[in-house]
Amino acid sequence: MSSYHAVVIGGGGTGAAIIHDLRLRGVQATLVERGELTSGTTGRHHGQLHSGARYAVKDRSIARECMQETYILKRIAKESIENNYGLFVALDDEDLEHAPLFMQACVESGIPIKEVPVGEACEMEPNLNPQITRALMVPDGTLDAWRLPLQFFATAGHNGAAIHTFSPVTGFHYGGSAVTGVRAYDLKTRSERTIGADLVINATGAWAGQVTRMADVEIPITPGPGTMVAVRKRLTNMVISHLHPADDGDILVPQRGLSIIGTTQYRTDDPDDIAVPEEDIANMYACADTLVPSFSAQKYHAAWIAARPLVGAASSADDARNLSRDFSVVDHGKSDGREGLLTVIGGKATVLRAMAEQTVDLVCAKLGIDEPCRTANTELLSHRAYFT
Amino acid sequence: MDEKQCTFRIYRSNIDHDGAECNVRREEFSLAVNARMTVLDALEVIRRDQDSSLMYRHSCHHGSCGTCGMLINGKRRLACLTQATALDGDRIDLEPLRTMTLLGDLAVDPSPLFADFPRNATYVRESEVNRDCRKPFEIDRWERFEDCIECGLCVSSCPVTESFMGPAALAAHNREIINRPERRRELLAEVNTERGAWPCTRALNCSRVCPTGVYPAMHIAELRKKVEEDGLTPAAEPGEQRSAETTP
Repeated sequence: MSSYHAVVIGGGGTGAAIIHDLRLRGVQATLVERGELTSGTTGRHHGQLHSGARYAVKDRSIARECMQETYILKRIAKESIENNYGLFVALDDEDLEHAPLFMQACVESGIPIKEVPVGEACEMEPNLNPQITRALMVPDGTLDAWRLPLQFFATAGHNGAAIHTFSPVTGFHYGGSAVTGVRAYDLKTRSERTIGADLVINATGAWAGQVTRMADVEIPITPGPGTMVAVRKRLTNMVISHLHPADDGDILVPQRGLSIIGTTQYRTDDPDDIAVPEEDIANMYACADTLVPSFSAQKYHAAWIAARPLVGAASSADDARNLSRDFSVVDHGKSDGREGLLTVIGGKATVLRAMAEQTVDLVCAKLGIDEPCRTANTELLSHRAYFT
Repeated sequence: MDEKQCTFRIYRSNIDHDGAECNVRREEFSLAVNARMTVLDALEVIRRDQDSSLMYRHSCHHGSCGTCGMLINGKRRLACLTQATALDGDRIDLEPLRTMTLLGDLAVDPSPLFADFPRNATYVRESEVNRDCRKPFEIDRWERFEDCIECGLCVSSCPVTESFMGPAALAAHNREIINRPERRRELLAEVNTERGAWPCTRALNCSRVCPTGVYPAMHIAELRKKVEEDGLTPAAEPGEQRSAETTP
């Protein structure tokens, strides 16, 4: 057990996986979150566990990482995954033209892709649009966006991590120009708490720029909100995606008794200033119906919006779609002369564990800790263990 | 879209350093809401624009995580599935679920809910949708998460005042027996106790407030039947049946 102490800011999926990894490597760890856990972007996730197929044409390395992480999560977090695979379906000639490129990209990314004869696909999923002309199966799935991170938090908590919710960070402590801790305001007791740290890790996703600004550091992050609409009936068991370059409303995810269509892409400066644009609702229904025609006939359940943390600067929604879904860890000591502060920028729910591994590798390198990452082979506790 | 000006009258409090609740009061916030906005959407705007210290729990915003249960105009509901304009009048009263441990304002610690849940229970079950349809050979069955989102509305609505495992934990026991019949004996022993399946008075509040159609009262009835089927001696008399006497 080392005597080093790291503070993680942000109780989303990334923070969850980081604090779990820190504890497995023997680093003392405290996490502060401004509200409830996963109350930012993480919890509002569409719910697709990505095999990586969606990203394969554009970026093989992201796709490969998604596939590897999907395998790992299916092993360490079984209770948070509906493991039913996914179908990419072609609807028109353009889609058919895209198919060979898509299949090749999947193969090159290590994603097992399988042709399913259209008749068989419709037997597996009778609600599927019968007009589909091709169906390709990949190991997608559905994740529970609350219970998956909670499994990481539960395990970290049982391993001695301190987790403080409803504790927004109000500023940093410094020794010279280096960050040596955070100040957090405990809303429960209405009192401020100071937490010293050898390293502070900013894992606040779309809010990361607001946090680094408190330390006079700017980072290239663009909050990219997207809308999702759920209807009150489970129409499929598999995730159904449109076989074409990524666009609005081209993924239909079943979850519990719901079917969820998403998503759109905007850009915003403030991830708290997001509301579902009314026109998105009709647009999402129309998109869903092309995949599963009975979608819009079901009872409306909910519409919501979540701000992705996109890496880079974008001036328009089109720009935002072209921003990377990759992640990186910024050492502000190196890039900005602000030692003691790291920021995780970008990323996706499926790769939360890999983001943590890379972050904690850097933490260990900076603190001189020689401990390997063990999270890929450590089965997580039940989400309920967070509360018991 | 049409907007309506609403007054949100919100329960406020915090805890002192000994953990006791203090500064209890109600505060009013005025906000224009449109037909799409839920009570949770309204809370997000109030916190952003009017009071950043407002405490409430939320995560998924679509009724899957179970964190945003509260009393909305006296009824137990999920804030994320309650359209603000669909409520009567233009004043909306919000109170926390007092059966859980209060953290402050509308936020509670749901830990008490989980105390009697079966240990190591699965959260994934066989999907009933297209169950008999062709499957890829890679999987044995279509699967899905349990319906119960562990929001605690059922426990909060239950009128039983004596020591009781409560509807959520009992429903989870029955679901686990269905999912894993090999655990039947062990789990029936857990519910065939004085505070297990017997104190239920069949007021059915739990089934009425459940936002995901779990019908906990039905599961409690099934557990009692299973105790009988297995020839076990009931640990107590069933609670006296009565109609709902508290507002769900």
